Amino acid sequence: MHDLYAFVSGPLVWVAFIIFFGGSIYRLVSMAILAKKKDGVVFEYFNFKYALRSIFHWIIPFASTNWRLHPWMTIVTFAFHIGLIFTPVFLFAHIILIKESWDISWWAMPDGLADILTLVVIASCVFFFVRRQVLPEVKYLTSTSDYVILVLVALPFITGFWTYHQWPESTFMGILHILSGEVMLAVIPFTKLSHMLFFPITRGYMGSEFGGVRQAKDW
Amino acid sequence: MTESAEKIKKQFIDKGIEKGVEELTPEKIEKTINKILKSETGARFKAYVETCVHCGLCSEGCHYYLSHDKDPAFSPAGKVKQTIWEIVKTKGKVSPEFIKQACEIAFTECNLCKRCAMYCPFGIDVAYLMLTMRRICHMLGVVPQYICDTAHSHASTMNQMWVKDDEWIDSLIWQEEEAREEIPDLRIPLEKEGADIFYSVIGPEPKFRAQLIYQAAVIMNVAGADWTMPATPGWDNSDMCMFIGENEMMGRLKKSHFEAAMRLKVKRIVMGECGHAFRSVYDMGNRWLGWKMPPIPVIHALEFYHELLTQGKIKVAKKFDKAVTFHDPCNVVRGRGLHEMGREVTRAFTNELIEMHPNREQNLCCCAGGGVINCGPPFKMKRIDGDRIKAEQLFNAKSRGASTIIAPCHNCHGGLEDIVHHYGLGMDIKFLGDIIYECMEKPGASEG
Amino acid sequence: MRKTLGLLFLFSFLAASLVGFSAYCQEDISFVGDSAFTERMRPSVPFLHDDHNEMANIEDCNECHHVWEDGKKLEWDSSEDKECSECHLSQESGDSDMDLIKAYHNMCKECHIGQKAGPVQCSECHIK
Repeated sequence: MHDLYAFVSGPLVWVAFIIFFGGSIYRLVSMAILAKKKDGVVFEYFNFKYALRSIFHWIIPFASTNWRLHPWMTIVTFAFHIGLIFTPVFLFAHIILIKESWDISWWAMPDGLADILTLVVIASCVFFFVRRQVLPEVKYLTSTSDYVILVLVALPFITGFWTYHQWPESTFMGILHILSGEVMLAVIPFTKLSHMLFFPITRGYMGSEFGGVRQAKDW
Repeated sequence: MTESAEKIKKQFIDKGIEKGVEELTPEKIEKTINKILKSETGARFKAYVETCVHCGLCSEGCHYYLSHDKDPAFSPAGKVKQTIWEIVKTKGKVSPEFIKQACEIAFTECNLCKRCAMYCPFGIDVAYLMLTMRRICHMLGVVPQYICDTAHSHASTMNQMWVKDDEWIDSLIWQEEEAREEIPDLRIPLEKEGADIFYSVIGPEPKFRAQLIYQAAVIMNVAGADWTMPATPGWDNSDMCMFIGENEMMGRLKKSHFEAAMRLKVKRIVMGECGHAFRSVYDMGNRWLGWKMPPIPVIHALEFYHELLTQGKIKVAKKFDKAVTFHDPCNVVRGRGLHEMGREVTRAFTNELIEMHPNREQNLCCCAGGGVINCGPPFKMKRIDGDRIKAEQLFNAKSRGASTIIAPCHNCHGGLEDIVHHYGLGMDIKFLGDIIYECMEKPGASEG
Repeated sequence: MRKTLGLLFLFSFLAASLVGFSAYCQEDISFVGDSAFTERMRPSVPFLHDDHNEMANIEDCNECHHVWEDGKKLEWDSSEDKECSECHLSQESGDSDMDLIKAYHNMCKECHIGQKAGPVQCSECHIK
């Protein structure tokens, strides 16, 4: 267990981060090169003002027509993404570890809030799962990989919550927590989770086309 | 996959598709698909396919989906799943039967209206993906017969309706003569070099809506515009080649159009009330030719009318006496943001404008555009069934008093006419030019 | 001793602060404590000083109660008469290794990992 812990909390962290950052940069750069070569329009028409205008209308809850059309989905998806990003980054326990490794630290959220956000993320995953099962238009599009990704995302939160609250086998859960977090991080660039990288670009490009050429709103 | 999620497929008979599919072999399909995907698609295609998280939020954007009791097979992503995702997944190893289905979906179950791009949180351009599928079908020789014939007309005559060069000139002279009965000194100036305005129309206008040329001539003359029309090919701004994925021909058409205008050394092109032609000239054809924006300023009739009105060149003689509602065509509203200008002109010439809901950029499609109406009779009912939601939207406007629909686009006209007729809505459909012609001051007009 | 690097995004915690202490009646010590810890973010770490040392075979006090000078650990000196915080307050020294929490964490974890014995994860030491 000690070797395993030392491995997952040492070298594997580096591996996960290198894959995450390296993979993300690779995906973005190779996409940009491809765009330069094959889709001249993307660079020609990309316009930061209109890209941001569009992005803002889509990253603010209820700021687009479609968000207003689906209030539950909107509330859940925003809560989910906020929890997904903010919890690990501003978690006291993570910050302590980072501080002890790299001598950098930042504001940490209270543990109670982290608990709530974690539960929100887990509950959102359940919501998404049910949504994929129940709504015909979503079920029709869903493939097995969509469920796998949901599990990959939920796992670090479930195991983290578990080990924090010291439920039975929390040592094992702790290892699983570290491992699942690393797996999730590493697969981001190469799965549908890459929507994290491409959202600003696809939305921004559509915003640019609508704002700059079509002179119309796209939200 | 549930049964309810499966689309109930009706068999449509279309000779263009059937014959084309007969010629296919799996090898030919695979080779063609991979050639197109490799040489013609790039980052946009890849990002659109890989970024979609299968959330289904685009569904509400599509009138086909809304009209088919929310059948998921008609949702934008649902249609991409049945076409593009499959060819990407199988690397082109699909059957002729698959191509037949994919052709039907891409050509007759999507109007390329881009409403879903405003519903997808990622701004994924499903219209672009459907056009790519159409391009593949075109390269495989599987294209609905009617629209294919139209594209052939473009290729042979540089206009959409097999109008011969002398017939074109003849139609203009005919309309000039007709209009001179009303305004004696009216001219339709052909080939006037250095004019301010190059007025272009779509092929169907001289063919069977010649009165629109008449009306445009009256408006131009009353406004004292310095305008001209060409007596050569290049007069037709329409473009069905764009909609079947025959991009090379789209480029030739636009080149011919721009060159006719440049030969006459005009300052700008004013286009009639057509949506898809505007898309072709302002958005797609120019890009194919390498012009970021059109080489000559191009304005759509709605913008032109607005200009004439605000500059006082046309004046309101009387208000149109029926309550109207304004249908926002995708290609000039989502495509060029002319919804407010259209409304200002409408308000000036009518007593009452009753909005349909949703409206402006959010307006529901007519289900005719994107070449769907041009696929002809075999798919007419598909269009009408596929836009029941439009009938509901129109009926709602009617229940609040609107009796006339203003639709400043030819395709919208055609589509709405079928919908109004089939669903028994009993509403009139007019171009904005119809209303202006009817209600404006005509100082030079002869009495009676 | 190898430095355990980069534990970003991991939920392992303030690992064991087992340097139990207070110079006086060590047999009574049952929790790790230092008067510098005024506000606790985590539960105190249970620690039985003599049992631990017996089990771990630790003879020399300065195995834990060390004294450093000029970057070197003094072999014959020890510090069991002091509280850790008397030296380990990073704010004053500017050296992060002198940070009190970090000193505790490293002292326990590095030894435990090296010896392949004893708790290393947050939840193993900071028991609720």
